[in-house]
Amino acid sequence: MREPMRSNVSAPSAVEPAAKESDGVRMPGAGPAQSPTPAIRFTRVSKAFGSSQILTELDLDVLPGEKVTLIGPSGSGKTTVLRLAMTLERPTSGDIRLFGESIIHNDEGLPRSSRDEARIRSCCGMVFQQFNLFPHMTVLENLVLAPRTVLKLDKEESRELAMEHLRLVGLSQKASSYPGQLSGGQQQRIAIARALALRPQILLLDEITSSLDPELAGEVLEVIRNVAHVTQITLLIVTHEMRFAREVSDRVAMFDGGRIVEQGSPDEIFGNPRSERTKAFLQSVLNH
Amino acid sequence: MSWDWSYAAQILPDLLWGVWVTVVVTTACSAIALTGGLAIAVIGSTCGPAGRLCVRVMIELFRGVPILVLLYFGFYALPQIGVTLAPAAIGILVLGVVYAAYCSEVYRGALMTIPPGIHDACVALSLPTRVIWLRVLLPLAIQKSMPALINYVLVLYRQSAFLFAIGVPVLLARAQIAGYQSFRYLEPYTLAGLLYLLMNLPFVYLLHRYRMTNAGAHA
Repeated sequence: MREPMRSNVSAPSAVEPAAKESDGVRMPGAGPAQSPTPAIRFTRVSKAFGSSQILTELDLDVLPGEKVTLIGPSGSGKTTVLRLAMTLERPTSGDIRLFGESIIHNDEGLPRSSRDEARIRSCCGMVFQQFNLFPHMTVLENLVLAPRTVLKLDKEESRELAMEHLRLVGLSQKASSYPGQLSGGQQQRIAIARALALRPQILLLDEITSSLDPELAGEVLEVIRNVAHVTQITLLIVTHEMRFAREVSDRVAMFDGGRIVEQGSPDEIFGNPRSERTKAFLQSVLNH
Repeated sequence: MSWDWSYAAQILPDLLWGVWVTVVVTTACSAIALTGGLAIAVIGSTCGPAGRLCVRVMIELFRGVPILVLLYFGFYALPQIGVTLAPAAIGILVLGVVYAAYCSEVYRGALMTIPPGIHDACVALSLPTRVIWLRVLLPLAIQKSMPALINYVLVLYRQSAFLFAIGVPVLLARAQIAGYQSFRYLEPYTLAGLLYLLMNLPFVYLLHRYRMTNAGAHA
């Protein structure tokens, strides 16, 4: 029997909601933005793998508390944006800042040490398409490991925190199970709980329902809806679930060929897209 | 020549002493092989190209030279350059290091089969490198390597028979001595063969149990 998802848990992030009027786009030549320090700022970020150019001079701001969804065809560079923000990849050029601190260079312009990188990215959590739970650990051990070693909580505190987040995703009864004993949807909900247990201010979601069937995907999206509504966490989402993107986002950015071709509110993007590329993409996705 | 039960009973205590020496020697060899192999695999996975080359050369050296040659080198050649060790120590070191080279390849293969997403998850959780290795990568690699490692320990039991060549009183050496003394070889070698088989049984059971546990808990 599935446990109902709690909506009265403490917010994993204490960040104030974003100013909704800003669309996070910095136009070339525009003066300094008046909005608060962005949670994530990409400045002229390019990324190439060998001869393949994935991102081209990307500028993107995500404000604290904002929910931004990246949509676009496969291979357009959406996942790379998340991986760069999480320091899983290094950009070929450009700068990436989390709450104003560069993860690429220190104040002297020298490359960040791996220790510095880890400190800065600790405000970020990420959930992956393939769950990536540790298969040799129980669900509880998966959730307790990072709070114990990163937040330095004691055994009881970290256990309490883990159970609180398991209740948030409706799976507290699975604490002693191994990931291999759970369905894909349950594993993804555990992965979300694991990421949230570190109390991140930013949560990066990389196609978290792509490997799930529609029913299981529904369970997972329900958890994210819940998290989005009850917390002030900053969400940067890559998804092909257009209904979900429309419902949960403050802003949607359409990617194609390593660039943002259009961005705006969900109503603008889904209701009245300006770019022909966006229209064609939405038509192909929605008719599929 | 027929089977002589009274002679068999007479040499059995001596052979059991050989079993005890075999167990002690194999346990020591296994400890060196399993931990040394893990250390070699971690060094090979984390160090630069020069370090990897050194590890590769060492592995090929110990896998390429016959065990008897290494045993004789330790027993006859090392004393000539002033290094004198007890025969049992030479045997344990040689078998331990040779099988550490084999085990390191098993661990390396297991580390390579860990999906890259697991490492991504560790980074996303900001786990320190020490924790990534000790709590995530090594337990996973050891778990994946377990059947092959148990198999190598089994092989080590049999390979410990080589140590009779440098005078370590393992089971085979005891059987041989009994044969020389009485000119009866049927009983000593038959009993030795049976005792080696019996020593294998716990490992066969362990392998079976591992397969059952693995099929259930981590399906």
